[in-house]
Amino acid sequence: MIERLETERLILRRPTRADEAGAVAFYESDRSKFVGGPFKTHIAWSCWAADFGHWDLRGFGSFAVTMKGDDTCLGIVGPYYPATWPEFEIGWLIWPEAEGRGIAYEAARACVDHAFRDLGWETAVSYIDPENARSIALAERLGAVRDDAAPRPDPEDYVFRHPRPERPA
Amino acid sequence: MIERLETERLILRRPAARDEAGAMDFLLSPRADRIGGPFKPARAWQVFAAEVAHWDLRGYGGFAVTQRGSDRCLGIIGPFCPTGWPEPEMGWMLWEEAEGRSIGYEAARACLRHLFRDLGWSSTVSYIDADNARSIALAERLGAQRDTATTPPHPDDIVYRHMPMEDLPREDLG
Repeated sequence: MIERLETERLILRRPTRADEAGAVAFYESDRSKFVGGPFKTHIAWSCWAADFGHWDLRGFGSFAVTMKGDDTCLGIVGPYYPATWPEFEIGWLIWPEAEGRGIAYEAARACVDHAFRDLGWETAVSYIDPENARSIALAERLGAVRDDAAPRPDPEDYVFRHPRPERPA
Repeated sequence: MIERLETERLILRRPAARDEAGAMDFLLSPRADRIGGPFKPARAWQVFAAEVAHWDLRGYGGFAVTQRGSDRCLGIIGPFCPTGWPEPEMGWMLWEEAEGRSIGYEAARACLRHLFRDLGWSSTVSYIDADNARSIALAERLGAQRDTATTPPHPDDIVYRHMPMEDLPREDLG
């Protein structure tokens, strides 16, 4: 099981208990409106706990995103595949202090590569609220394209499909 | 960390990935209306995954209830303490196939012993939907008392309070 990825500026690692406060604060805040929130505290906890438990249940999961040299979690990014999902997803949640520095892009890029390379995915999608302009911009920057024919968990969501990353020669 | 309890008929063990399908059937069924549902599909999975994660996040959690000789999970019963809960809870959810055989009672009683004895809780509550007659009957059979002085997390819930069982001989603690 691969529990750690490295990029130029970031360490992506399996989430730990220490990441709970930031994650619960995110799910309680208005920033979670595009993933169904804001949630009451105990439901926010359960959203976080599910991200955490995903690793036990699936053998892979989303990573806590940290800057090299600082283990503070800045968001949760990566493979997500709950029981009722039509297909494998790459998701991203970024805490407010990490916005605007290309961190989500750098983390999501590494996670898409990881999913195809290490997890053997044949394809990957991201489900995005049509009003979430920042997230749509990120999907497009990653090279994903709208797939309006694909099934989706929420009929309101857009589906963005990620191209298979080019293998290095 | 205590991950396994035994009773006369049951093995209670830490829940695992193999329990997911049964849990999802329950969480997407009308039975889940009484534990905060109906849940959207995405949310139902989070409820199960959070039960699994609770063990790593808290060092204890709800047990998968199985009958001796079969590993099949029949429900999840035990301590539940998410962030934001007014106080640590003793919770139970039982799949339909397990009803009517006192499995819920036997498992819940073992869990109460566990949380008073092993986890050192001095008291605990169960939050129960006011319309959930079966669950109320179970709480009362376990010796819990209505606590109207405590506010439940959901306005439709009532609170039952469990106190340590002083009648338990040490050698009978499993």
